[in-house]
Amino acid sequence: MAKAIGIDLGTTNSCVAVMEAGEPTVIPNSEGGRVTPSVVAISKSGERLVGTVAKRQSITNPDNTISSIKRFMGRKFKETSVQQDLKKVPYSLTEAANGDLRVAMGGRDYSPPEVSAMILQKLKADAEAYLGEKITEAVITVPAYFNDSQRQATKDAGTIAGLEVLRIINEPTAASLAYGLDKKGEETIAVYDLGGGTFDISILEIGEGTFHVKSTNGDTHLGGDDFDLTIMDWLCDEYKREQGIDLRQDRMALQRLKEAAEKAKCELSTVMQTEINLPFITADATGPKHLSITLTRAKLEQLVMDLVERTVGPCQQALADAGIKPADVNEVILVGGQTRMPLVQEKVKQLFDREPHKGVNPDEVVAIGAAIQAGVLKGEVKDVLLLDVTPLTLSIETLGGVATPLITRNTTIPTSKSQIFSTAADSQTSVEIHVVQGERAMAADNRTLGRFILDGILPAPRGMPQVEVTFDIDANGILSVRAKDLGTGREQKITITASSGLSKDEVEKMQREAQSHASDDAKRREEIEARNQADSMAYAAERTLREQGDKVPAEVKSEVEGKIAAVRSALQAGDVGYIKRATQDLSEAMQKVGAAVYQHAGGPTQGGGQEEPPPPKGEEGTVEGEFREV
Amino acid sequence: MQEEMEAHPPAGETQPPPGRQETTEEAVDIESLKRQVEEENQKAESYLANWQRAQADFVNYKRRAEQEKSELTKFTNAMLILNLLPVIDDLERALNTVPTALAGLTWFDGLRLIHRKLMSILEGQGLQPIEAEGKDFDPNLHEAIMHSEGEEGKVLQELQKGYKLHDRVIRPAMVKVGREQVETGEKQGQDD
Repeated sequence: MAKAIGIDLGTTNSCVAVMEAGEPTVIPNSEGGRVTPSVVAISKSGERLVGTVAKRQSITNPDNTISSIKRFMGRKFKETSVQQDLKKVPYSLTEAANGDLRVAMGGRDYSPPEVSAMILQKLKADAEAYLGEKITEAVITVPAYFNDSQRQATKDAGTIAGLEVLRIINEPTAASLAYGLDKKGEETIAVYDLGGGTFDISILEIGEGTFHVKSTNGDTHLGGDDFDLTIMDWLCDEYKREQGIDLRQDRMALQRLKEAAEKAKCELSTVMQTEINLPFITADATGPKHLSITLTRAKLEQLVMDLVERTVGPCQQALADAGIKPADVNEVILVGGQTRMPLVQEKVKQLFDREPHKGVNPDEVVAIGAAIQAGVLKGEVKDVLLLDVTPLTLSIETLGGVATPLITRNTTIPTSKSQIFSTAADSQTSVEIHVVQGERAMAADNRTLGRFILDGILPAPRGMPQVEVTFDIDANGILSVRAKDLGTGREQKITITASSGLSKDEVEKMQREAQSHASDDAKRREEIEARNQADSMAYAAERTLREQGDKVPAEVKSEVEGKIAAVRSALQAGDVGYIKRATQDLSEAMQKVGAAVYQHAGGPTQGGGQEEPPPPKGEEGTVEGEFREV
Repeated sequence: MQEEMEAHPPAGETQPPPGRQETTEEAVDIESLKRQVEEENQKAESYLANWQRAQADFVNYKRRAEQEKSELTKFTNAMLILNLLPVIDDLERALNTVPTALAGLTWFDGLRLIHRKLMSILEGQGLQPIEAEGKDFDPNLHEAIMHSEGEEGKVLQELQKGYKLHDRVIRPAMVKVGREQVETGEKQGQDD
């Protein structure tokens, strides 16, 4: 029953995705965000906070707010990287008896997996709320350079959170899965991951569906945040130069600057320049001061060039360690929000001499790949049902030779559709069901799949009998068409096997023809609709005159009769515009009849019983059913 | 699926009297039939389970789609309103720092009226300011960007207004939060 989710457990942000109807979907958290900050805190009142909420109170509670716990997963206290990172975080870490790390939060010690488990618990709970079902299994991603102990710590975190970790997969591998690269055969893939706080380059080799990590490299303290800070610094320096005020002293101004810098950075990925406009940024003795500085893309690129250059060394080293040249790389993938920047994409293109893949959202691509892997793992246990679609529209022929669709093309099968039709002439006692396949507006231009007749319809005025036509396609593509007279209960049906349809080439040919004839078909359809409408109106008018004639003054009656005649001759002539005008005239004239009848009905007794008109001689047998929505 | 019934032996052949042992052939037939029935039963159970699963997925998806649809109508304008908030902030900054010389002018009253009109339109859309100053700091509503001497855990000052749209916080209030006496040697509050 349960789905397995894919989790990108990141240093700064985490993301969750799941396979739904064969497609990976990102699951938003309870606040509506598609990513969740990897921050955990215990508030002064002892409440546990995870995600954005934890981030918001971090300044007031630095000792008990844990961020970037991923840097400490699976490590020992004495490791050099730990000792370095220790200094950069405001919370305190201690050494456990066996050399493991402990982090203090809310007066208690926790292991890093326990802290990560709190993040995973929130992700799990939010996914359950969104999907409406319990989640017990997940695939979690880790950096390719994580060693056994770090991977085990991540798995432990999952277990503590109540998740069975189906697999731990590498982040670059997950990204490759998201781009479907596992289906391409033997290839060498470079994954360039520039996120919020870290840069990772991985060289992977894929063969026979398995991924091998050839080499990894990177910079654990280089990311989008550094780009934002660079812009902020420049803004402060520019402002100091222009206005003589140091904005760095003003906490609120800095906050606004930070947001403006990030926004400008994002905008400059699509436009060539942007104005950073912050009125009332500060004030001095002379009054309020504003900041209005234009930042061009060229200037931005100049400012961050050094940061981008810092990714080159690790990339070259990774290639060397893998023993390959840039030309040997077949595919390049971009991961991480910062890779949206044109300068970064250019640099990647230069480094590997090819266009990188970038269609999937770079913030979500790892989670999406994890979800795909989760889906594959679950698919081994459960039957995956592949469904077909019907490639061409299926219709029946209605009054005027029009093809009226019942099942439109590309509908997933099995499926069933019904519609109610009626007769075209008075006392029509049978209808012919002519089943056609194709996209053209006229039945004759489509392919006939079959025909049959439903008879035994009781004589009645046209439009009154109700014939329900049902199209049913089963999973094998076999179409059954049934027509049932809802009045008498009589029904007829035929079965059309898939092979009596069209081959793939024929399907494509029909689709092309339909497109090229689209405007002609539309005109013809319009013409027929106008005719049908004229005909109906004339018939209804005649009937009204017969039934209500005694209540209508003679001039009105003869005017209407004249209009009816005009409509009938317009139908003979065949000009659409003429038909439409005549129909309109008749409609207006009919209003006078209506007015007269209702005026006459000052007293009671509106004509109840209507005389049955004498059945006209003529058309019997195979007359097409009139199209009518009920 | 119905198994075909074995044909009755044609008239004239002697039937084995009831109670007599079945022949080995018939026993084998029965065994294989039993196996087939077992297989079919398992298949049927698996089909049923898959169908139920698909049905459940569909029901859940429908429920979610409907939820999202109704939320969409409520929050179609959320993005636009969110992007307008900095403009409202700036407008309010301007109004609040009006030089004394202009403050008394009728013209300035006009500006205030315009601001009120704008806010009233947005309120009609469901926008509500978040109360901050003097309240207990609540990270669900407020974002702490400064931490200074003052009443512990209380919002000392609102630095930027926060807003809710139909009960959803679209932007938390940026606040200065109070704390007890700063001890010497304590680490400074961390920049986020």
